Amino acid sequence: MKQIKNFVKHTFRGLPKEDKDRVIDYVTELLTEKVEDLIESGLEEQTAIDKAVLEFGTIEDYYDAKEHTIKPHRTTRQSKNDLIFSVIGTLIIIGMLIFSNLYYTPGVIWFVIPMLAVLWWPLVMLYNFLNKRNRED
Amino acid sequence: MIASDLIRGHLDTIILKLIIEEDRYGYDIASCIKERTKGQFSLKEATLYSALNRLEGKQAIESYMGNKTHGKKRRYYKITPLGKAYYSEKIKEWEQFKTVLETLLEANYETN
Repeated sequence: MKQIKNFVKHTFRGLPKEDKDRVIDYVTELLTEKVEDLIESGLEEQTAIDKAVLEFGTIEDYYDAKEHTIKPHRTTRQSKNDLIFSVIGTLIIIGMLIFSNLYYTPGVIWFVIPMLAVLWWPLVMLYNFLNKRNRED
Repeated sequence: MIASDLIRGHLDTIILKLIIEEDRYGYDIASCIKERTKGQFSLKEATLYSALNRLEGKQAIESYMGNKTHGKKRRYYKITPLGKAYYSEKIKEWEQFKTVLETLLEANYETN
């Protein structure tokens, strides 16, 4: 029945950790019952497993019945971390730009131009985060 | 083959009805539905399992480990008083719904 367990694990791999193990154990148990029943009714083990897997449906079927409570793949907390990462990354890049500008070519101020380009990164992440937070309110 | 979104709203009622008849386990419910509708409606296991999980969460049904006759262990579901009340509520709703649809879709009203 390893195959069943792997199939269920694969199907529910996108779930957040708190839910994941409980759902996987629960679904594996019920699906194994089905395979055992199919074998009892005279099917080969492999055929029974294939049939159970084919008829199972998708993760959407599982969550549809739960009135669309499918969890988003990236949570607000993760988006916030992404935002912080982009801000820190941008600060490091801009710091390097300013340093090389002042150190090598103190006469010409050019660092603002690549800086403008880099600033789009945290801006995108900021709006990503704000949208996600609004959706969850 | 009936579109599953037409049935979805009544899935809980169907499952409760089958469990009220006798204690059943997951695959038993699925094959019962398939058999009784003569294959016109077959439920995806994913949908069934999450419905069972939800009903158990609502304390409409309870599960226990039981032995199938000369077989392996099965997780059986049995109805609770709460589940019975929920079921009769749902049946009333269904009767109403049926009357409304019959009135709207089947009756031939004289339009002037």
